[in-house]
Amino acid sequence: MHETSIVNSIMRTLELEFEVEKMARLKGIYVKVGILSNIEPRLLHNAYDAFQMTNPGYTDAELHIESTELKIQCELCNHETKVKNYRFICENCGSPSKNVIQGEEMLIHKVEFND
Amino acid sequence: MSTIEKSNKAARGTAQCENTNINLLKANDFVADIIRKEMTKSNTLLINVTSSAGSGKTTLMQKTAERLKDKLTMAVMVGDLETERDAARIRETGIQALQIVTGGICHLEAQMIHQVLDQFDLPSIDLLFIENVGNLVCPSSFDLGEDYRVTLMATTEGDDKPRKYPKMFLTSEMMLVSKADLLPHLPFSVDNVVKDAREVNHEIEVIRVSSVTEEGIDEWCNWLLAKVEDKQMAEVNA
Repeated sequence: MHETSIVNSIMRTLELEFEVEKMARLKGIYVKVGILSNIEPRLLHNAYDAFQMTNPGYTDAELHIESTELKIQCELCNHETKVKNYRFICENCGSPSKNVIQGEEMLIHKVEFND
Repeated sequence: MSTIEKSNKAARGTAQCENTNINLLKANDFVADIIRKEMTKSNTLLINVTSSAGSGKTTLMQKTAERLKDKLTMAVMVGDLETERDAARIRETGIQALQIVTGGICHLEAQMIHQVLDQFDLPSIDLLFIENVGNLVCPSSFDLGEDYRVTLMATTEGDDKPRKYPKMFLTSEMMLVSKADLLPHLPFSVDNVVKDAREVNHEIEVIRVSSVTEEGIDEWCNWLLAKVEDKQMAEVNA
């Protein structure tokens, strides 16, 4: 259910960003989703397949999903820590931190068009 | 390590690329900012209340309304998949309540809030609650333009929830441990739940509340009154 609204949001965003003529040549959508984004790549693919069925104009446009790990950067010692088991604690100095530098993203980071 | 889900169709033709970095929720966040500006203009404190289904959000809204309705003007919008039951319950306490029926959608989006804002006389409202759809997952991703996000964590849910649903607790400023009156009957440790929540978000504030015995309701209402005052002072200073 949630993934369906994400797909609608992606397509609405692209339609606002690019002209109709360009969207007709849409070839690939590259999205980056973090572990914390609550987006499950497999379900997002399914939701996109369903979207394509009802929007034949986008049949040739592929969705590519990259998922990223969760990382924090300590405000005290600047050390970057990969967060495991959702313990938001710097592995270098032990201070708690919620300064997430990777893993929260939901980005359309690249769009491809046919020539 | 990042994993890329590869397409199984053969590549063909040439392609032009555009690097974008557009946030998927750009449309939502744009509307959330509009809501935030409206709230600043009308001096209204906006609180987004989230939790699992059945953790006592509506009952807490009723209690809060009873306590605060003589001190300030409060209103509630409440999201559910179906029925107007929650809004009706809140209206019984004599405050304005508006039901947002999402028709199957598992969270509220900024657009849904913005659409109904004109139903309220915002300048006369000091405190506006959004009672979100009962769900610890999806609502965490949608900014509704709120000043604070408050998450209820009922003692009947088990004390291991914060790290199972980390995004919600990471993005909340306050965790209310609700149904505290049931603690003697449950294998629920407040210390454990606070520890779990603070491993995710070391800044999260915690209050134990019970809408039945009214434990913690004073503290909760005083927190709200202080935040309402802060917001109105900030506006005076600006």
